[in-house]
Amino acid sequence: MWWRSASFILDKQQNDTAQTIPDTLTLSSPPLSMADTLQNPNPNNISAYYQTRAAHHGVVTSDWLAQAQAAVGRHPDDVLPPEPEVKVAGKPFSVIHEFNNWRNQPDLAEAVAAIRALAAVIRNSEATTMMELEIELKKASDSLKSWDTTSISLTAGCDLFMRYVTRTSALEYEDFNSAKSRLIERAEKFGEISYKARRIIAMLSQDFIFDGCTILVHGFSRVVLEVLKTAAQNKKLFRVFCTEGRPDRTGLRLSNELAKLDVPVKLLIDSAVAYSMDEVDMVFVGADGVVESGGIINMMGTYQIALVAHSMDKPVYVAAESYKFARLYPLDQKDMAPALRPIDFGVPIPSKVEVETSARDYTPPQYLTLLFTDLGVLTPSVVSDELIQLYL
Amino acid sequence: MPDVQALVNDFLNKLKKRKIEGSQATSRQTAELLRSVISQQRVPYNNQAGALIDAVKAVGEQLIAANPVELAVGNIVRRVLHIIREEDLSLTTAAMAGLNLSAVSDDEDDEERDDLPVLSAAVVAAAARSTLRPPSLQTLLEDMPDTAAIPHTSSSGGDSEGKSKSADKSSRSRKLKHDVIEAVNELIQDITTCHEQIAEQAVEHIHQNEVILTLGSSRTVLEFLCAAKEKKRSFRVFVAEGAPRYQGHLLAKELVARGLQTTLITDSAVFAMISRVNMVIVGAHAVMANGGVIAPVGLNMVALAAQKHAVPFVVLAGSHKLCPLYPHNPEVLLNELRSPSELLDFGEFSDCLDFRSVTGSPLLHVVNPTFDYVPPKLVSLFITDTGGHNPSYMYRLIADYYSADDLVVKRRTTSGN
Repeated sequence: MWWRSASFILDKQQNDTAQTIPDTLTLSSPPLSMADTLQNPNPNNISAYYQTRAAHHGVVTSDWLAQAQAAVGRHPDDVLPPEPEVKVAGKPFSVIHEFNNWRNQPDLAEAVAAIRALAAVIRNSEATTMMELEIELKKASDSLKSWDTTSISLTAGCDLFMRYVTRTSALEYEDFNSAKSRLIERAEKFGEISYKARRIIAMLSQDFIFDGCTILVHGFSRVVLEVLKTAAQNKKLFRVFCTEGRPDRTGLRLSNELAKLDVPVKLLIDSAVAYSMDEVDMVFVGADGVVESGGIINMMGTYQIALVAHSMDKPVYVAAESYKFARLYPLDQKDMAPALRPIDFGVPIPSKVEVETSARDYTPPQYLTLLFTDLGVLTPSVVSDELIQLYL
Repeated sequence: MPDVQALVNDFLNKLKKRKIEGSQATSRQTAELLRSVISQQRVPYNNQAGALIDAVKAVGEQLIAANPVELAVGNIVRRVLHIIREEDLSLTTAAMAGLNLSAVSDDEDDEERDDLPVLSAAVVAAAARSTLRPPSLQTLLEDMPDTAAIPHTSSSGGDSEGKSKSADKSSRSRKLKHDVIEAVNELIQDITTCHEQIAEQAVEHIHQNEVILTLGSSRTVLEFLCAAKEKKRSFRVFVAEGAPRYQGHLLAKELVARGLQTTLITDSAVFAMISRVNMVIVGAHAVMANGGVIAPVGLNMVALAAQKHAVPFVVLAGSHKLCPLYPHNPEVLLNELRSPSELLDFGEFSDCLDFRSVTGSPLLHVVNPTFDYVPPKLVSLFITDTGGHNPSYMYRLIADYYSADDLVVKRRTTSGN
């Protein structure tokens, strides 16, 4: 699907001849009626994952926030509302619909949403044996994965849950119903595990944040926010440089949050990173996925920042939960499934002008110093070891 | 117990006053002390591993606090804790294997007695194994029973079988201590023979007509070079003197006594001579979990020079120097400042040091750090008693030698490990 031609002229010729296929990306929105179809609902390759993230990262005004809080009405740590009854009259249960419901909650990790959706599959399943249940789960997991191929946490979460199911069914519980209820219980608990993971990561990284340090942050990662929150609560004196994070403006959202914590924040436009890098003591990023080589896939711009940091000998720390480890091995930037996001420049752009709309990039492991995960502090070379233990 | 306490206090004193020189001596004495603590510790009938772990943690906490820069102390404490957990686990799995046969027939009885869910022996053993291993992706979704629960279930299972099993249990309690002490003896043995094991590998790395550079004096390096000499390799050694202690002078004398061609240079001359060197071989004070090295001062400079001229930088370290912690500010936190008298002669400089400025402190400051931090990207190879390894491989050795629960050695006030 990806042509690596040496000359963009060749590309242009191919694009001209293949005009009927909408290869070039316009700012049209994708068709919205995609709830129950299993075909790819994004003919324009717009990544639903990054769209959702963008929706979460949208800059919020304080009264919008208050309204939202009132609407949700509870602290995320409390028991989440009970499962909405999905068997509406006549409408069959759809795991994708379920997943979308969960995914839209701003504080819930992607993998947690996936596992809850799969738990809903178990709950609604009419299987009577473990084998049948596993097959149903596998189908649901495959449909989820194909529905959004760009989300690594989704794939990793589904795989993790499938492995857990196949392993435990082999070991314990001859009684089917107790096995089923146990699986559902573990899946529900996974949300807690995810929160616990964030807290463990925050605790592990505390030693690395010293008084008077300057931290450069890119992208809006809930894990990194947790790390900084914990440091602020422990009365550490530090300041944060946030990159603006075009086009999602993640920096604006993050600076809002940090200002609430009374942490000195400075906003940089993305191009000002190298300019400010010598004042910076360390770079902290989250990850959308951690790949087998130990590198990370994260919001566009991470690779750039890691390169600059590496050339100036600044450590780059990644905070990522362990369920984001994925069995991918990208060899270069274009080696992953394309994840595109429309960019709004504010002014109309002539249609002849191409726009690079990829939402993410790959940072190779040699530019990363340490990974903080709930499995402990890891060097990038440990990641493949963990993956081997799990998958082989 | 008062006997052991006196030993502990004596050792603590020596550590605080920095009377013990060198990580090998420190490790050996720490291991011997912990062995005495374990043998004197009275263990209860149930959960003996927990009692031993608590006792070792209590002593270990004090030892580490006495000299936090001497990482070998912490390493040995954690090794001993890992040994206790391992021995306990192997005894439990052996007992499980024995109980399994009779447990199968008595399932209904067990169900009535126990409040805990009926877990097959295989599951309990698997859970026990996974509690020993650091947390991993495999166990992420699992709900692991408490380690304290495992000996309980085994003991309750045992009690329901009758007298024959209780006789097994009491022999098992004696066995744990015995096994642990045997393992600690092995550890002491390993520590004492680490030089020989490392020196055995010398022939593979040092080739004919090579020029080796080293700085200061390390016993491991001395043994290493002499072992190569024994195997009839002929090579030359540049020794950088290693100011301000000038231990390089002693090493040079030793090497000449053993018949090696030696050249003595100042530390400042390292960069000038590095282009003529084939390999740099040095010892270390401690090796951190990311592969970074805490080494005698001056070695960071040698490592940078070696990198610039593409010379392999080889670090020799016994396994007792391997520390499971990640260094987050090693130049400050893992360093010690020694007396300025090593640099300056107080007689000559006494008026300089006295000279007070407006703020009241002397104008002349003397900084004499003991250690340097060498980042992992500058190290080409680690040679330990288990073989040669990449710096990025250190985490595997750590997983083998240490348990994740022991990274922070703090005695827990509540029971249940």
